[in-house]
Amino acid sequence: MRVSRKLALRACHIVACCILLAAAGRAQSSSAQLTLSLTVQSSISLIFQNNPAVGTNGFCPLTNAGTNNVGLDLGTASFPAGSDSLACVSYAHVPPAMYQVSSAFDVVVSKANSSSPNYRLAAEISTAPPANVTWLINNVALNNTAFTQLDATDNYGTAVTKTLQVQVKNNVPAQTLLETITFLATAN
Amino acid sequence: MKNYARIRTLMLTGLLLASVALTAQTTATGTINATLINKSGIALVFDSDPGGVALGNTGTAAASLNFGTVSAFGPLSAGVTRPTVLAGSYTVRTLFDVNVLQGGGGSPNYTLSANLAAAAPVGFSYAVDAVTLTTAAQNVQTNGAYGTDVQHSLNLTISTAAPGAGGPAVGAPLTTTINFTATAN
Repeated sequence: MRVSRKLALRACHIVACCILLAAAGRAQSSSAQLTLSLTVQSSISLIFQNNPAVGTNGFCPLTNAGTNNVGLDLGTASFPAGSDSLACVSYAHVPPAMYQVSSAFDVVVSKANSSSPNYRLAAEISTAPPANVTWLINNVALNNTAFTQLDATDNYGTAVTKTLQVQVKNNVPAQTLLETITFLATAN
Repeated sequence: MKNYARIRTLMLTGLLLASVALTAQTTATGTINATLINKSGIALVFDSDPGGVALGNTGTAAASLNFGTVSAFGPLSAGVTRPTVLAGSYTVRTLFDVNVLQGGGGSPNYTLSANLAAAAPVGFSYAVDAVTLTTAAQNVQTNGAYGTDVQHSLNLTISTAAPGAGGPAVGAPLTTTINFTATAN
């Protein structure tokens, strides 16, 4: 009886030693928690792109194409000359005493995290043009007091071709005509 | 005359004995046998990265990171970038630092693993550096240096789909917890 008790005690000691050794051999580790928070918001973007026909008459290249801030050079034109200095600019005589230069480009509006089915597009010029000068998009005259709607239901992710036109009457003094045209896409 | 000399000798001897008795003090000594077991250990804390979002509770093991309002095309909070915008998804990113301290020595470096505390919400995918996280722990780094801020990126890839069509909920705050474990190598 005593012998078996001693054996049991020894067994307990061995087990205890094994547990201690296992604990000593375990790798040291440390845990921590990083809690993230955020709020997702719907958004849309508008960019200008060169039309696939860029370089041909009526489709001048944009500078900085593919962004929402581009440049468009319409060259030099005059009433009696009947043409523009740039071949890509479309020149037209508008009777009786006006000429028009124009160039087309594409507008692409994309959406993210939005259920909006389509968008409306409007435009506005930054400053009032000189008398007898008119800035138009697709034959819709623009002003600098309010956005003028161009389209009511354009599709997202699809290029929409717009033509910028400048109409100048023959009595407009020679000068550089400069405008910044802001396009506004609004999710429907 | 002889008596005088004896008396003087006796007096001098007495004075000498008295001075010795005055300078001698009683002393005792003792020792303490002290024992300290210096166990090795490591600790992980999160630190704000100069190029990332400022963490809440920075310098602790329970930090928070607020991306703010995120979108595919809109403005982002300071410290948040948007490295990619694709047709089907976009990614927002920030940086944070992990600092693992070691005591007791013996380990040359550490392995860092991470996992999501719960499954990712619909429309979201989380990655630390290049490792896309799941609820199972995965190694993010296998040779982290102790005692220094190690920069990591946290990348959230968000579907551009509309809510209810595979995209995330919009306009509602969303919280996710990521567990990190550093293990001594």
